[in-house]
Amino acid sequence: MYSVLKPCKTSAAFEAIPRERFTLDLDLCEDIFRKVCTIITHAGIMLIVSDQCEVSIHKDGRLILKTDSGDVAREQAGRIAGWLEGTPAIRKHRDSGSLKK
Amino acid sequence: MKLISLISGGIDSPVATYLMIRRGVEIVAVHMDNRPFTDEKNLDKTLNLVRHLRTLTGTPIKTYVVPHGPNHITIARNCNRHLHCLFCRRMMYRIAERIAEREGADGILTGESVGQVASQTLQNLSVVNRAIKYPVIRPLIGFDKEEIITIARKIGTYEISTLPGLCCTIVPKQPSTAAKPEDVLNEESKIDIDSLVEKSLEGMYVFGPEAL
Repeated sequence: MYSVLKPCKTSAAFEAIPRERFTLDLDLCEDIFRKVCTIITHAGIMLIVSDQCEVSIHKDGRLILKTDSGDVAREQAGRIAGWLEGTPAIRKHRDSGSLKK
Repeated sequence: MKLISLISGGIDSPVATYLMIRRGVEIVAVHMDNRPFTDEKNLDKTLNLVRHLRTLTGTPIKTYVVPHGPNHITIARNCNRHLHCLFCRRMMYRIAERIAEREGADGILTGESVGQVASQTLQNLSVVNRAIKYPVIRPLIGFDKEEIITIARKIGTYEISTLPGLCCTIVPKQPSTAAKPEDVLNEESKIDIDSLVEKSLEGMYVFGPEAL
């Protein structure tokens, strides 16, 4: 789902960009994530959770992973993708194909 | 003269603070802690910058750290997304003004300069000014970024300001560059400003002038 990971310009975090366009229902995400990690806050426009690192989850699926480690960021993005895959929290856009991991 | 300096871990506000210390102004620093929308590195950088300015100028600087994350959450949940940076700045000014009253300060000092970021247009600065009665001193208002960086390098703050730190993640993709005062007031009526200011003041903590 998240094939691209690039360091933010400050290099204090990594950014995970969805491979295909989709929208997240953050209320449903919160319900799902509550069972598997710690919810830091739900600010309406983004959800912040803590697992292997702290992650800001945006409605457009973009993730900001607060870690200096690329390995941790990639693994964390994969875990989030796994939690979301196949759930109603993901609303695919019409012009995007099937979600691939 | 005593000023409340709104200081972040960035490049501009330490330079603005230095310039006013050089003019003999007594400074009380206020850092708005944006976590969880930033990381702890920004707070570390800010405290290191204050420490550096103290060493550089020989001037002790009392420093307040104010939790601002809860304010962001309330604003994000209730107000127009494009105006977020305006609401954020107006909240910072209000809190700084309350600290100014407490400290007997004469005004608020910021590192703002015209046109540097979307929230710092003349129109937006005018809207932000209207949140408080105290004067806002902006020694960098006509500087361009390169000029500010040159001073920052000269005084040794640039190296600290550019250490890794997460930028504010709640900044909208398309912030308003020309907010109308009536729109801002209308949106702000959706939240309890006074309560947010009080809670922010209750949650703040302070480092004494010699503590850093």
